[in-house]
Amino acid sequence: MTCRSIGVPLIWGAIFAVTSPGRAEPPLEKYRHLEHPPTFANFNKGWQQRVLAEFEVVNATELTTLRAGLKDQDPFVRSISARALGIRGDKDSADALAELVKGDPEAMVRGRAVESLGLLKMKPDVIDLAKKDHVDAVQWLARMAAGELKSETESRELMQKAYAAGIQPEQLGIAKVGEPAPDFSALTSAGKPFKLSTVLGKKPILLYFAAFDG
Amino acid sequence: MHEQAQLRLKQDEVQKLGADVYVVLAMSLHRTRVFKQENLVLSTFKNPFTEEPSLVFGTALSDPAGCASALYGVSRRCLRAQAWVENDPCWFVIDRKGTLTCAYNPNFSSATFYEKDIDHVLDELRKAAKE
Repeated sequence: MTCRSIGVPLIWGAIFAVTSPGRAEPPLEKYRHLEHPPTFANFNKGWQQRVLAEFEVVNATELTTLRAGLKDQDPFVRSISARALGIRGDKDSADALAELVKGDPEAMVRGRAVESLGLLKMKPDVIDLAKKDHVDAVQWLARMAAGELKSETESRELMQKAYAAGIQPEQLGIAKVGEPAPDFSALTSAGKPFKLSTVLGKKPILLYFAAFDG
Repeated sequence: MHEQAQLRLKQDEVQKLGADVYVVLAMSLHRTRVFKQENLVLSTFKNPFTEEPSLVFGTALSDPAGCASALYGVSRRCLRAQAWVENDPCWFVIDRKGTLTCAYNPNFSSATFYEKDIDHVLDELRKAAKE
């Protein structure tokens, strides 16, 4: 588009900024507007968008925005904000996270908040309190968070590094039966680096992607 | 953990096939260690594994941002109890050439599904070991 007067691009630019679907939406807003938020009904729908949006929130949202997100009306926004602040190591958010653990009506928010207190290694009294939450899943996360408090493992730093490495949209779900197994990197439970490609093509391999109790 | 417990009962067979076992958790290194070293789930009620100190004989891998899980299409799909950071449990079998030969989701449909899951996965592993 060519504009011959200075006024036209200014006006056009203002309209474009408000209405263009291509305009970059801030990560937390993108997460808020997920077509398929993380609910059971969406089990098989939109997981790719959830993954990409989560990476953006964790890696690229201002801490002040994330802190404000802890008070958002939307429980999904509170939940992802709590997770991101823990991973980012924002100790200034510990009080607000503790308040969520003690009083948020949504279990997923309490769970993510107590998890983050564990990553921050803060508020052991609140983590202990969460072990008596009326929802089993929150109790479970509180037990894990209590373990993080005592652990010498730098879980938070490793987690932040893993998110910072990023993920490519075209890589999501590329594993296909009949094709070469996609390579990936991880850490063994002993803390040693692991790369699947170093063991591929030598032995048959059983690979299980587990939930914690699955 | 149930799947790991059942697989451990077939550990000898897995070893005879010369296979390696890797278990990927989309969780922190600390929680991966707990998964590998402690029997937290099956020690809480009476079952054949109640007294066992550890149930995972494979190599447990921490994938804290869920990157590997996303490559394999199982990330952010375990939404029960709104535990949306966990993996959708899934077995993959890889043959000696490095080709994926099977992807299998446990179906969690009955009280005996764990045994059937492992039988199915071992059948697929036997095929992969012959490739």
